[in-house]
Amino acid sequence: MPEAPATRPGPEESAPEAAPESQPFPLRRLRERFGPDIVLEAHARAGDATAVVPRERIADALAFLKEDRELSFNTLTDLAGVDLALFPRQVEGFGGDERFQVVYHLHSLSRNDRVRLKVRVPESDPTVASATRLFRSADWAEREAFDMFGIRFEGHGNLKRILCHKDFVGHALRKDYDIRDRQWLVEPDTLEDELSPPPAPRGGGGDEEAEGDDLFTELMSVNIGPAHPAMHGAFRVLVRLKGETIVKAVPEIGYIHRAFEKSAEKGTYTQVVPYTDRLNYCSALLNNVGYCAAVEKLLGIEATERCQAIRVIIGELSRIIDHCVCLAASLVDIGALTNFWYLFRVRERVYEVIEALTGHRLTNSFARIGGLAADLNPGFEEGVRAVLVDLDSAVKDVLGLLAKNRIFHERTIGVGAITAEEAISYGFTGPCLRACGVAHDLRKASPYSGYDRYDFDVPVGENGDAFDRLMVRFEEMRQSARIIEQALGTLPGGPVNVDDPRVIIPPKEEVYASIEGLMRHFVLVYDGIRPPMGEAYGFTEAANGELGFYVVSDGTGNPYRVRVRPPCFYVYSAFPRLIEGGFLADAVAVLGGLNVIAGELER
Amino acid sequence: MGVGTRGGRVAPGLPSDGGFVSTRAASLLERAANWGRRYSLWPYPFGTACCGIEVMGVLSNKFDIARFGAELVRFSPRQSDLLIVAGNISFKMAPVLRRIYQQMCRPKWVIAMGACASSGGFYDNYSTVQGIDKVIHVDVYIPGCPPRPEAFLDALVLLQKKISQERPEDHPRPEPPWPPEDARPRGADLFFSAGT
Amino acid sequence: MDPDLALSLVVVLALAVIVPGLFFALGRLSRERRPSPEGDVPYESGILPATDAQRRFPVRFYLVAVLFIIFDVEGAFVIPWATEIRELGFTGFVSMAVFVGLLLVGLYYLIRRGALEWE
Repeated sequence: MPEAPATRPGPEESAPEAAPESQPFPLRRLRERFGPDIVLEAHARAGDATAVVPRERIADALAFLKEDRELSFNTLTDLAGVDLALFPRQVEGFGGDERFQVVYHLHSLSRNDRVRLKVRVPESDPTVASATRLFRSADWAEREAFDMFGIRFEGHGNLKRILCHKDFVGHALRKDYDIRDRQWLVEPDTLEDELSPPPAPRGGGGDEEAEGDDLFTELMSVNIGPAHPAMHGAFRVLVRLKGETIVKAVPEIGYIHRAFEKSAEKGTYTQVVPYTDRLNYCSALLNNVGYCAAVEKLLGIEATERCQAIRVIIGELSRIIDHCVCLAASLVDIGALTNFWYLFRVRERVYEVIEALTGHRLTNSFARIGGLAADLNPGFEEGVRAVLVDLDSAVKDVLGLLAKNRIFHERTIGVGAITAEEAISYGFTGPCLRACGVAHDLRKASPYSGYDRYDFDVPVGENGDAFDRLMVRFEEMRQSARIIEQALGTLPGGPVNVDDPRVIIPPKEEVYASIEGLMRHFVLVYDGIRPPMGEAYGFTEAANGELGFYVVSDGTGNPYRVRVRPPCFYVYSAFPRLIEGGFLADAVAVLGGLNVIAGELER
Repeated sequence: MGVGTRGGRVAPGLPSDGGFVSTRAASLLERAANWGRRYSLWPYPFGTACCGIEVMGVLSNKFDIARFGAELVRFSPRQSDLLIVAGNISFKMAPVLRRIYQQMCRPKWVIAMGACASSGGFYDNYSTVQGIDKVIHVDVYIPGCPPRPEAFLDALVLLQKKISQERPEDHPRPEPPWPPEDARPRGADLFFSAGT
Repeated sequence: MDPDLALSLVVVLALAVIVPGLFFALGRLSRERRPSPEGDVPYESGILPATDAQRRFPVRFYLVAVLFIIFDVEGAFVIPWATEIRELGFTGFVSMAVFVGLLLVGLYYLIRRGALEWE
């Protein structure tokens, strides 16, 4: 294996002691508040303001970033662990000799600003203060960091494994854990430890009896899932029922954990693309594009104009079919089966178009780092325009059945409502956040792929209930159709792949006719793309919300760490909060509207 | 090849060249029972991952599984006789799958849909069972990631042909042992160590 | 009673008993019996059941069931009256009106007390 090349400078390399004015605003404020020793290392590679903070001060730093009026970083977008056992420690942001790092990505919705904080965690004492007191989204993310790395978060309250099963020994994402080290599970977890035991029968106190019942009622615990039609794949919820009312709900995930992040470390950057298809498999193209955009951010290259426009078109088509599946499945769960047929007809029409372009219906692997696998096929534009006509008539049919339907209203209005503040604290993004009234869309807030050239609206709900979550998706399909029409009308010509020898394999004529072409092809295929050492967090507005990829590169052709920030992971962590106090049937209606896709949730 | 073989991938009763030379089902009653069973299969789509979306595509109006008599999906093992495992099975899910299979009434058949259910797919890692035939008995395997709906329907027709030749002693099928033998790879099983 | 009517009643009752009985018996004879402990476990989405089903249910379920029975029986009385409405004449109408009226009073009481609300 050839050695890693020397560090290539990123686009914005900042020296540690740069003049204060050139430092990112959040870091400046941090230094003002806590003194200069709050920041051990700082850089702004690839445009991401990053600071390494001492481990014992992380809680104060996070609290300050959240509560300070001028910063107001009110969302913890993602929390990830990294094992630096095999990483070159001279790279900026990865200094010290502690084995692990915990990476916090914070986002300020009001100021549209982001910052990344990192703490160094030694292997001998792998503990960090938990952030659950400040951000509810830290709950499950810390459980996953514990599961994958063994990092303990003090003050968490329920630090249990979340993706690997209960009898799993070891921590899977550590560099010394062999990827093929399989471990069987004989009996699933009963989850009784998370569901506190019911009170004693006679004379037992507690608030279970304070409702005014004359006769004592024994609470019943029911497993919903993982093999359940309403559970869309493989989620499990253990609910404690009082009659029909859910008193407590304990979700369990991990039934389709497929080790995406570990598999990504095994091959090259391009070989990760098929794995990304299977994340949110209802809209594979959006995942492909999101991942490639993140790696392009790390490389510091920008796709060509034509590539951006095509990515917009296929991305919006993908978003449309994802919403079709979500709506179809949710409505079937509520009992409205006819809509399933109407919406799946649209999906089949779109499949025909996508299959002619990419060669596959569902898992396309179409985007490449620096471009796309191929240019548009002849007949694509006519196909897409015909599909948009079909979409319009199908949405009209479905809304004709639903919009004034008393039963639909009774089952979804007011069901599973959540306020905007709580949703932001849980880390909601995408349609579920917009249903709460927060008009936040990454295509408008941080435009990428040329989205600022297109004119479209961002539909917003009012109450954050199941009704709003479903209706927002209908309107988003219409807006996506608008974007597609504009993009088709203004499709620029030119090459689809970036002309960068580090990234794109040369055309076949060059490969066969010249030595340089042959060598370039060989190195790119054998070694893979080699981004500069460093880290980048690339995010796009996927169908469920902010799909982020935190990519760490050690300069070789193998990715060192690819962390997926799955939008529905954070949405589903709020599921107990949404269903407790409601009826059992409402839980089904709520789950449909959240559009939790298991492949993305559990990677 | 024969009843009870686990090594071969050709299901017992079918000649390996795909043709159907002889009819094993002898009596009229057996043939009638097989006819009734194969043209009214009640599937249980155990859809976990991407293949589950293609199952939904097969069930919907373009590919229409109802033409084959199998549109009555029942999401309970007590009410179904065809278990379609569509998607990968993780080690966490394996005991659940096994219990679901055991709770189905006989006669029952299993279709392993997709590469992940057949052999683990390209998920050769610590969390994916390398083929559900380590957990339950499988009748038909469908390759593909995900397989096209036409491939699924082809598998359904193949299963119907297989059922047409069944005899009473073909049920219950032999089940793999549970808990399974240790699944760790042995030694030089790892041919390539690129990047690991 | 009209002998034709009695005969048809007897035939209907006989069929209602014999035909299902035949199905049960044929099934019993031709079914295989191979009970297994794994197969007999109650189905709860693939996991062993968390609690057994023989627990004390909330009293609201019984309330709903009892109310249903009352009004269902009311309907069971109304239907035969409705088939013979001509023969029963005015007195029949008045007595049925009194009957339904009493039950309506009871229904009004229930609604006011909130017995039809789930919580």
